[in-house]
Amino acid sequence: MAEFLDLESQDGVRMPWNVIPGTKQEAANAVVPVAVIYTPIKHFPSSAAPLLPYQPQRCRTCRSVLNPFCIVDFAAKIWICPFCFQRNHFPPHYASISDDNLPAELFPQYTTIEYASTPDPTATVPPVFLFVVDTCVIEEEIGYLRSALLQAVELLPENSLVGLITFGTFVHVHELGFAQVPKTYVFKGSKDVSKDQLLEQMCFFANKPKPAVGVIAGARDGLSRESISRFLVPASECEFTLNSVLEELQKDPWPVPADQRATRCTSTALSIAASLLGACVPGSAARIMAFIGGPATEGPAPIVSKQLTEPIRSHKDLDKDSVPHYHKCVKFYDGLAKQLVHQGHVLDLFACALDQVGIAELKTAVERTGGLVVLAESFGHSVFKDSLKRIFQASNYDLGLSSNGIFEINCSKDLKVQGIIGPCATLEKKTPLCSDTVIGQGGTSAWKMCGLDKSTSLCLFFDVVRKETPDATVQSTSNQFYFQFLTYYQSNSGEMRLRVTTLSRRWVAGPGSSQDLIAGFDQEAAAIVMARQVSFKMETEAEFDPIRWLDKALINLCSRFGEYQKDSPTSFSLSPRLSIFPQFMFHLRRSQFVQVFNNSPDETAYFRMILNRENVANSVVMVQPSLITYSFHSGPEPALLDVAAIAADRILLLDSFFTVVIFHGSTIAQWRKAGYHNEPEHQAFAQLLRAPHDDAESIIKERFPVPRLVVCDQHGSQARFLLAKLNPSATYNSDAALPGGDIIFTDDVSFEVFLDHLQRLVVQ
Amino acid sequence: MAAPVPPGAPRPGSNTPQAPPPNYVPNIRGTPDGLADNMQNLNLYRPPMTSNPVSRPPPFGQPPPFASSAPSQGIPGPSPSFARPGPPPGATVRPAGPPSGPPVSTLPPNLGPGRPTGPPPGQPPAFGMRPAAPHSSFSSSLGGAPAAPLSGVPPPGGSPPARPLGPPPPPTLGARPSASLSPSPSPFTSPPMSAPPPVPQTGVPSNLMSNGPPAFSGGTLPGPPRFPPVGGSMPQPPLGPPTMRTPPGPVAQPQPPYPMASQGIMQPPTSPFAAPSWQMQSQQQVAPPPPVPGPSQVPPRMYSMSPPLPNQSMTTTISPAVGQTGAPLVGPSKIDPNQIPRPSPGSSVILHETRQGNQATIPPPATSDYIVRDTGNCSPRYMRCTINQIPFTADLLGTSGMQLAVIVQPLALPHPSEEPIQVVDFGESGPVRCSRCKAYINPFMKFVDQGRRFICNLCGFSDETPRDYHCNLGPDGRRRDADERAELCRGTVEFVATKEFMVREPMPAVYFFLIDVSMNAVQTGATAAACSAINQVISDLPEGPRTLVGVATFDSTIHFYNLKRALQQPLMLIVPDVHDVYTPLQTDVIVPLSECRQHLELLLESIPTMFQNNRTSESAFGAAIKAAFLAMKSTGGKLLVFQSVLPSVGICALSAREAEGRTNMSAGEKEAHKLLQPADKAFKELAVEFAEYQVCVDLFVTTQTYVDIASISVIPRTTGGQVYYYYPFSALSDPAKLFNDLRWNITRPQGFEAVMRVRCSQGIQVQEYYGNFCKRIPTDVDLPGIDCDKTFMVTLKHDDKLQDGSECTFQCALLYTTVYGQRRIRVITLSLPVTSMLSNLFRAADLDTQFCCFLKQAASEIPSKPLPLVREQVTNLCINALYSYRKFCATVSSSGQLILPEALKLLPLYTLALTKSTGLRTDGKIDERSFWINYVSSLSCPLAIPLVYPRMVAIHDLDSKESEESVIPSFLPLSSEHISEEGIYLLENGYDCLIYVGEAVSPETVRRLFGVASVDEIPTLQHDNPLSKRLNEVVNEIRRQRCSYLRLKLCRKGDQSGMLFYSYMVEDKSAGGYSYVEFLIHVHRQIQNKMTS
Repeated sequence: MAEFLDLESQDGVRMPWNVIPGTKQEAANAVVPVAVIYTPIKHFPSSAAPLLPYQPQRCRTCRSVLNPFCIVDFAAKIWICPFCFQRNHFPPHYASISDDNLPAELFPQYTTIEYASTPDPTATVPPVFLFVVDTCVIEEEIGYLRSALLQAVELLPENSLVGLITFGTFVHVHELGFAQVPKTYVFKGSKDVSKDQLLEQMCFFANKPKPAVGVIAGARDGLSRESISRFLVPASECEFTLNSVLEELQKDPWPVPADQRATRCTSTALSIAASLLGACVPGSAARIMAFIGGPATEGPAPIVSKQLTEPIRSHKDLDKDSVPHYHKCVKFYDGLAKQLVHQGHVLDLFACALDQVGIAELKTAVERTGGLVVLAESFGHSVFKDSLKRIFQASNYDLGLSSNGIFEINCSKDLKVQGIIGPCATLEKKTPLCSDTVIGQGGTSAWKMCGLDKSTSLCLFFDVVRKETPDATVQSTSNQFYFQFLTYYQSNSGEMRLRVTTLSRRWVAGPGSSQDLIAGFDQEAAAIVMARQVSFKMETEAEFDPIRWLDKALINLCSRFGEYQKDSPTSFSLSPRLSIFPQFMFHLRRSQFVQVFNNSPDETAYFRMILNRENVANSVVMVQPSLITYSFHSGPEPALLDVAAIAADRILLLDSFFTVVIFHGSTIAQWRKAGYHNEPEHQAFAQLLRAPHDDAESIIKERFPVPRLVVCDQHGSQARFLLAKLNPSATYNSDAALPGGDIIFTDDVSFEVFLDHLQRLVVQ
Repeated sequence: MAAPVPPGAPRPGSNTPQAPPPNYVPNIRGTPDGLADNMQNLNLYRPPMTSNPVSRPPPFGQPPPFASSAPSQGIPGPSPSFARPGPPPGATVRPAGPPSGPPVSTLPPNLGPGRPTGPPPGQPPAFGMRPAAPHSSFSSSLGGAPAAPLSGVPPPGGSPPARPLGPPPPPTLGARPSASLSPSPSPFTSPPMSAPPPVPQTGVPSNLMSNGPPAFSGGTLPGPPRFPPVGGSMPQPPLGPPTMRTPPGPVAQPQPPYPMASQGIMQPPTSPFAAPSWQMQSQQQVAPPPPVPGPSQVPPRMYSMSPPLPNQSMTTTISPAVGQTGAPLVGPSKIDPNQIPRPSPGSSVILHETRQGNQATIPPPATSDYIVRDTGNCSPRYMRCTINQIPFTADLLGTSGMQLAVIVQPLALPHPSEEPIQVVDFGESGPVRCSRCKAYINPFMKFVDQGRRFICNLCGFSDETPRDYHCNLGPDGRRRDADERAELCRGTVEFVATKEFMVREPMPAVYFFLIDVSMNAVQTGATAAACSAINQVISDLPEGPRTLVGVATFDSTIHFYNLKRALQQPLMLIVPDVHDVYTPLQTDVIVPLSECRQHLELLLESIPTMFQNNRTSESAFGAAIKAAFLAMKSTGGKLLVFQSVLPSVGICALSAREAEGRTNMSAGEKEAHKLLQPADKAFKELAVEFAEYQVCVDLFVTTQTYVDIASISVIPRTTGGQVYYYYPFSALSDPAKLFNDLRWNITRPQGFEAVMRVRCSQGIQVQEYYGNFCKRIPTDVDLPGIDCDKTFMVTLKHDDKLQDGSECTFQCALLYTTVYGQRRIRVITLSLPVTSMLSNLFRAADLDTQFCCFLKQAASEIPSKPLPLVREQVTNLCINALYSYRKFCATVSSSGQLILPEALKLLPLYTLALTKSTGLRTDGKIDERSFWINYVSSLSCPLAIPLVYPRMVAIHDLDSKESEESVIPSFLPLSSEHISEEGIYLLENGYDCLIYVGEAVSPETVRRLFGVASVDEIPTLQHDNPLSKRLNEVVNEIRRQRCSYLRLKLCRKGDQSGMLFYSYMVEDKSAGGYSYVEFLIHVHRQIQNKMTS
């Protein structure tokens, strides 16, 4: 396991198969797909990945970048591309290259390296933040939202440009650059406005005639700077105006009949925001930050009608395909996503409502643009407030928000890329690298990542197309697959960067390759690949049965790589490389990603969006939360995620990524209630109590979105956050109660039962 | 309908339509001089008349029945008795000019002699004679006050026309009405005849229908004050006999075409004239005020009905020369321009009782200054009919060549001395109405069966009297409480509306201001002017929580302002989508005035600077009004729009048709009038929607370019609003007018969410309504806004034969909400006698009303017909009436004579003026013509006349004429002959005011008037010298009379402004038409042709 972590810390890469099944058939038999989970701009200490202030050398044919796997002929000053075997000459300034005098990109340990180009100061547009604020919420929420926004505005980088759109029944585009009076453009919520209409209606061409032809976007294409600066104003200049507008921010004034939902035109507002940015600052780093407090009911993409008699869609409704607006909405947001991707802008979503707001529909727009998403119950909730702060706060834990990313890959000929599941959008660059089968964003070898941060992780799926060839021996000389990941992006300082990660992995084929494969199997990565894939299939394939699919995969995997005697379940054993994979699958089956019916479509969408952008470690926590026990008897130690871990004299700390639960056993809870920890003679108890809080804090500090902290006692109502995640080894129909005295009211099978079944099925 | 007649009264005429002539008659007439004419005519037909048992029922205590007296007026004989004091002012059709010898010969014999010899114009003797008698008689009866005017005035009337030609051959003149016609309606019967006051002839304002004692106070002066005596008081040295030659053709068009007219600017904006403050509504109290005029009525008092004066005799005297009717016109060149009929001035106040002796009286001219006492019929201010007797069949009407229509001005301003309209509250049951036709209770409903039932005078249905409204009848058949109950003794009352009349709570007073801030508007200063005007009138808005205001501005987008108090500053909300507009907020865009006054003021001050650098030249006018409408939709209200450029984007965008039009016009004039039609239906549809939601739009067009008024004016016209046109807008001179117009617009008595219907007695029905309204169902007109200036023409038609001798009633009911949120029904009832005699019709014709109808009809046709055709139609209308008169009523005389009915003697002049007016000229700008058409559509009678025949006064010698009792000096004929280059003249038409400065004016005069030695620059008017003060008095008086702040324009010979001024000299021959004399000849020829054909 550790070697995989090492590889990750070097290149930001995790692969289920670090030794790759070498043929199409082998790969198919391997069950878990050949995939890579790659964190493109993972933060490395500079020693691990140096920053080179010059342009990379690229292969003449395949455009791959010079890397340590290239074969270099120092004498001839020639390098051979490992992907296409093209021979390339070094340019003159590499003349002094020699074995002892290698450029950094050829250092073997620098498989990941970054190039920086000096930015052209005139062309760079500072980062743009366009706030899109829902006003159809109760006054109290408006108050929370106002203070959160005011705080955010203070934290904005001085040079960044700010715009504000508020919406309810109508969309109000605030002209912050107009000094005399507060001024807003009001658009009808029920009507979608195209970019051209917007340009015309907002009087962008009042002072000069509209160019008859050509794209109109941004200052270079015919828009005057003044007209842009009406709506997007440097944070340093607009603070007063913005504050006064925000301070006067009021609930949408249109009356809402008692039997109706508020008229909320989320889709129109977002569309206008996108068009505004598209007109003003195309191609530059801009984020639409949408703060939404309820379901969209108006405009081109309402998720539910205004009548309260119509309930908001549930998973059941979606399964039955009985949601009148769903497909229309999805289509609308697909369109919006395309537009934003085209413009290179990001949509961030802050959904704070007890009700659903339509994340399920908005998902594509957020995900394809690489936007952030935060779901909370209220704008007053710390999940929202702290997450928002995290975005702007410069600290050790900043998100490293970057923008305008383009991700490209090169790989060996025998591999084809099927696609990416993750926050990116296809650029539809068809190359021979593309596989015919598509998973996620596929059919391309280049992707747009409008927004990305240091934890953004893509899951790439590969297709091994190498056919079994009779002359296997010939192959053995070069049984390496090469991958090269190129990530162009604009760092938050505005600098354009290119990160290059080049990998080489050995492939194996033929009989006897199993052990090699097992040795290279990364269970965590495999679990996460499976999680992303099953989520994706659930979303895209009708009638898909995820449990069955997962079970089948697990059984197949076990029967392929397990050791057993046929029909003897007890004889079954798994290599340690694989041993906890069934447990991951067990928890994945029970997770919110697969068991969606406990959640609303919005929640499910939210969880999946986070899953699809997080790295392996964080994702594993989502699938199988970590549990730590604290007691007087021992220091903090990990515990089995099982109801048996509960004990009266223990404190448990559960980290399920979205929530962090501190669970006091009943005795501890009593002591705590009695206030012993406040008494000097019970210092130890106080420490015990504090320890999980400290740990929780450190978890929370690093995580985005900020998780919800739940502090609860055994038998308390909040304890459900813990119990839901535990293996139900003791339920109400268990025979013997556990020492901890807790049981879980469920009919779900426990892990033991699951394993029994698995063994039985595998050996058949 | 015959209600007034007591049951027992004999009703002569009723069964025998063909019977003898009407009893009443001759003296009746609406216009000055009419009497005389009538008399003459009478002669012809006298015999039959006598036969008629005309007797008026004694019960009324009328003077001796006509019958008795009638005979005495023998045809020929009587003439002496009729010594007509002076020729009636207008009587005048003048024969050719005296001086020239030759012409004489052509004159008709009878006239001939006198004419040439006498000094044509003012003949002293004539004057002398005329007034004398009447005065004395009058003055005695009248209070002192009236007397004065009389004395002063008479000359005017008599003035030039003095036709005291020798032996007037009365006979020659037209036979009057009485004659041929069938029996006169009995109701009026006799009394009239006998009684006629001597005076009437003059001007006779008072005109009772039938007989009555002269109602008018200043008998002689009836003439509208504005018309200066023809020759009289004015110094007309230059106009000697020499000038009188024939048509002054050449004179008229002196001006060389100059580029720009310099507009004289007058008052500095700071001196807004004080708008008269009529607070009609507020004055009303529910409790019925004392039936008789309050103390307020000081000046004129009604004289008691003095014994009928023998007016008839008077009339006759006039006759001969006067040709009261017919002025013989023979040779074209023979007419003395100074003797042809011209409006006669009359400046004293006339007292008018609407009914006397249970007979409708003939109202004074609409243009005169009169005080009405409502004695059963409504005041003529509210409703007046083209003919004060109703022809009993459609045929008779057709024969007369006149039209039957009423002009209704339901909220007309009363004279300050008049008794306010009483408000009657019937409580929850609401006003008593006929259960069949829903007519409202009125003085002509006849109570029968001991008061238990009443018979509707409109439909004849018999209804039960509501129990709590029951009252016994007195011996005269009237309810005993009739005099105490306003609804039973007044022609105009207001009822408090009950829930039944409301579909919702009465709406609040909502004022929404919509201001153009496009580049042109800002740069020409129009925006600033509008904002400043609005800011100043805010304080004039009705107080109270029910007054709501809103402001929006627009260029290519629409900007609303959230004026809610809690906000630190008004928030500007822009509606950018001008193709599919909406209101950005449901509330807070229109807020109670009391809550936003400060914000509003602040905002209005800052709007001009806010848009100072606006570079948007487009205007989304249509979208803006639509958006504003949406904001007001829930309440309705007044939308006041300040618009400066052609609507070019958004819904209802227009193209500059004028430019296209010009090119087309060169190709062919056929379609020229199309430009006067709305470009498409979009505005109309919009307007109908506005009207449905009670939004009334007033449009202030402050422009320097073409804005296609033809199209945009559809909105105000349909919603009961109005267009104000400031062209070319000048930031120097127009803001004051804009402010005053706006202020009057807001402060004048007005109502909201109104519905109006006119009901007529059986046999007559409403044919068509004309005016500014929206009509969704055939019987009613919807008026989102109605105010005291809005006037409607209602044309009538027969659907059955009426009963001769009965009365025909018109009842206008206006349901409206006052600015203070009370729902009221104003009921205006006019009951007129039905006649079967053509001559009665001519005698009872109301010139001003008839002409007003001409004007409105012509205006409504201009957009749809080629101009020459419209002109021809107008002329034909005039000719037809005159022809009918000539053929059926006038005495047979030389065919060479043009004989005019006294009442309509000015019709040719007005008709001529009309054909030369802005709307009927081709040389005007399209917008100006459109505006004119639009202006006319809601124009009241008193303003209709000056619009086509403006009044002109000399102002260079104002201070030398102290004597006049009227502030405004007497008027000059609109002929360039009367303009001296040494003089300065002021000409006003109720809308514009031109000051013409002659070329040879003494600098001293100029300095005194304008404070500068030469008038190249814009003069100010207020200076400390008597002349200037007098001028200011005059201007202010005109403004008061017109309820309009006239824009003063300076005109000087030699440039365009001078041409403009001369274009008002309608009596001159011009490129566009005949001179007055020529026109008379033309008319005469046409009549002759008809006669012979």
